[in-house]
Amino acid sequence: MPKQIPIDPGQTYAADTVRFADIPVHAYRSDLAGERDRWGDDRLRRALRDMMIVREFESMLHAFKSTGAYRGIEYVYKGPAHLSVGQEAAAVGSAMALAPHDQIFGSHRSHGEMIAKGLAAIAAMDAGALAAITGKHDDGRLARFVADHIGDAGGSAGEAFLLTGVLAEIFMRDAGFNRGMGGSMHAFFTPFGAYPNNAIVGGSSGIAVGAALRAQLTGSDAVVLANLGDGSTGCGLIWESMNFAGMGQFRTLWQPPFDRHPPVLFCFTNNFYAMGGQTRGETMAWDRLSRIGAGVGPAQLHAETVDGSNPLAVADAVGRKTRILRAGEGPALLDIECYRYSGHSTTDTNAYRSRDEMKAWQAHDPIARFRARLVEGGVITAEEAAALEEAVGAQIEAVTRAVVDRQKAPAIDIKSNPAIIGEMTFNGETVAPTGRAGDLLIDPADSKAMQSIARKSRSGFDAEGGLLSPMRAVTLRDALSEAILHHLVHDESLIAYGEECRDWGGAFGVHRGFADIIPYHRLFNSPISEAAIVSTAVGYALAGGRALVELMYADFIGRAGDEIFNQLAKWQAMSAGELRLPVVLRASVGSKYGAQHSQDWSSLVTHVPGLRVIYPATPADAKGLMMTALAGNDPTMVFESQRLYDRVETFEAGGVPEGVHGLEFGTAALRRAGDDVTILTIGPSLYPALDAADELSSHGLEAEIIDARTLVPFDYATLVGSVKKTGRLIIVSEAVERGSFANTIAANVTRLAFADMKAAPVVLGAPNWIAPGADMEDSYAPQPHDICDAILGDFFAEKRVNRRGLRDWDIIDMAKRGI
Amino acid sequence: MATEILVPQLGNEVTEAEITEWVAGVGDEVSSGEVVVVISTTKAALEIEAPTDGTLSEIRVDEGELTEVGAVLGVIE
Ligand SMILES: Cc1ncc(C[n+]2csc(CCOP(=O)(O)OP(=O)(O)O)c2C)c(N)n1
Repeated sequence: MPKQIPIDPGQTYAADTVRFADIPVHAYRSDLAGERDRWGDDRLRRALRDMMIVREFESMLHAFKSTGAYRGIEYVYKGPAHLSVGQEAAAVGSAMALAPHDQIFGSHRSHGEMIAKGLAAIAAMDAGALAAITGKHDDGRLARFVADHIGDAGGSAGEAFLLTGVLAEIFMRDAGFNRGMGGSMHAFFTPFGAYPNNAIVGGSSGIAVGAALRAQLTGSDAVVLANLGDGSTGCGLIWESMNFAGMGQFRTLWQPPFDRHPPVLFCFTNNFYAMGGQTRGETMAWDRLSRIGAGVGPAQLHAETVDGSNPLAVADAVGRKTRILRAGEGPALLDIECYRYSGHSTTDTNAYRSRDEMKAWQAHDPIARFRARLVEGGVITAEEAAALEEAVGAQIEAVTRAVVDRQKAPAIDIKSNPAIIGEMTFNGETVAPTGRAGDLLIDPADSKAMQSIARKSRSGFDAEGGLLSPMRAVTLRDALSEAILHHLVHDESLIAYGEECRDWGGAFGVHRGFADIIPYHRLFNSPISEAAIVSTAVGYALAGGRALVELMYADFIGRAGDEIFNQLAKWQAMSAGELRLPVVLRASVGSKYGAQHSQDWSSLVTHVPGLRVIYPATPADAKGLMMTALAGNDPTMVFESQRLYDRVETFEAGGVPEGVHGLEFGTAALRRAGDDVTILTIGPSLYPALDAADELSSHGLEAEIIDARTLVPFDYATLVGSVKKTGRLIIVSEAVERGSFANTIAANVTRLAFADMKAAPVVLGAPNWIAPGADMEDSYAPQPHDICDAILGDFFAEKRVNRRGLRDWDIIDMAKRGI
Repeated sequence: MATEILVPQLGNEVTEAEITEWVAGVGDEVSSGEVVVVISTTKAALEIEAPTDGTLSEIRVDEGELTEVGAVLGVIE
């Protein structure tokens, strides 16, 4: 069914003017009496204290980095310290306006935001709820550490828990919130609403949108803040994310109660610098950061510039924005101006700014000013404020003293388990979906597309053993459809999106007919925003959902590079297994369209630890591996060869299994038995290898063919067993040979089966140059004759068969020429 | 005069198509350019338009059945 947004030429060409509303800049007017009524004196005093805690905490890190000591405690801290001295009002003001379950995502400079959010959450929780959280985290180990070594530190045990968890994380200790696997720039503690900080500038923007989408779809009233720096406005991802959260379809096409925008606030802590680059006037075009809201949508992201040196101005603005978000009318943007007068990092020599500028801002110190106002207004006495400051110092000192002590707070024990970090990569959990989604538009059995598949033969052969056409037998495309639809139908937490995922039926038809069955909010067209597609999936998943997302072509992985390699691949391990990322990322490997649409980049993805990588070559495998991927709680990247979508099942005797069919990852498939040479194939290379094996038979050689099926995990046992028998190994894939994962396999097999090998292994891939267009493609992807040439030439030279392929080049010469 | 509704050329490698849906039924008045039947190949779904004005007098290939490029799907009189 075509969607209902008609495009009318008459209306399109009518003369008009695009108008913009004014964007408020520092519109907040101070009114202490009003703020006392609004917040109560106690909350205002706490705001002052919370700012002092953040300041003291950051100053402590600064002292360690610059002098190696703090209050007489000596310690060498080698990690990063991007401090927020001068930005405390932004962190604390924002936290004042948020509920404990509201979520903040941060940047490299977010210790303060995390502490402020935690302090506000702790103060808002009753003792029972807090005890449940501290008792549950890491089986109560951190809570016991605090009880044994710190106590309440002159504050409260809850606060000591928070500060210890953060500091131990920064100091990379086992007691840290993520067992030291995240460290300074990736710390988080979700029970207090402090979601992952991110060392990649702008990295949190799309993740926050994904988490907000999760809140939207689960009916939670939580709002999500993406805390970002002004410098991140130069990053493509933040623009993709703002647009994603503002997509028109939320209002035009999604059905109630989902017809609202993801409740996300892009909260820019604008400290005027990105390291030493000045955003306003030097590196950015916006002149006022808030202006960018006007370019994103008609509501202009409700953008405003606010005074980030006044916690009450920030609390007021964040409070107003959260009301807009909870009404479903986001996304929103705040430009919170404040000055960082600590260096960018502790190696910063401040060469880019003048002493006068720094002095002027120090005279505008947010804490000193707020303190003076509260004293002036009679909210606190000068003596009480001084006592607060002193107590805060003692509190941070007590926590620090316990955490620096390596005896009391050691790092994880790598010596006794050298693979301990590796074991945090995957959780290996499987969640078989049960029940049936309540939101289906029609019964899948009534779908024409599904009926069409149902009429087909499960096997690729007819009764006489003749090969059936892809219109008559279940294809690899159909097999993927079955697997995906099964999960969409049985698991309401699963959403699927990407470019052309809905009406078009997926760029290559895998989602055909799904639009009739699955409602918009679980199956939608994304913008052409590969980075945001992956980033939002990461956020949606780490907030508790499951996502199946798609990049039309594997060649577009580059557009989502950071999101795949640094976010999707790393959050499970960086959280020490605390977070789960059930994300399945599909990417097709093209053909015919030339250099930017034909690359097998499976080696690239395999190279980065943290992703399961699968490359099915048969319909039955496609179904089985896809079902396992979707049922798993680990991130999985699926490569699909466009050349194979129309393949029918020719290996499984019974054809493509019906119903639920999971296939364990890390089990290679024996496709043909033979004694003379082992051919390991990756993805579509299976088929030319089969043809090559037939030809080799005519030379009296029997090849054994093993289909890798999955690259991570990889099944060495099956392969090594075969090589020990044949003594010869050739690995065939469509990946470019230089840096190919096939080389890793070849090297490992050589170590594992050396004694039984009669020759060095051969890697046959694509040559080290661009994929040419359709008519030249057979000079690029290995063909049957290339495989025969390599086997006969390298392993059985005595057969003296003439080469027919083109690949007779000199590796040393080619490498010297850089090709 | 009778005009046949044919399965068009579907591209290089595609020879077969399935009838997904007859939008018009036997006896319906159809006008030239109106979608009368939807067919699918492994690659795409395709809407086939009436080649002329008239009455759909015959359906030769039913929904769910396979057919080939060039085959007659139905007749308009
Ligand atoms: C993608 C990326 N590019 C560059 C860096 C190096 N880097 C770290 S912080 C920073 C400046 C960021 O400025 P801004 O977003 O304004 O945040 P601030 O440091 O001012 O808090 C840079 C360039 C990075 N971490 N990530």
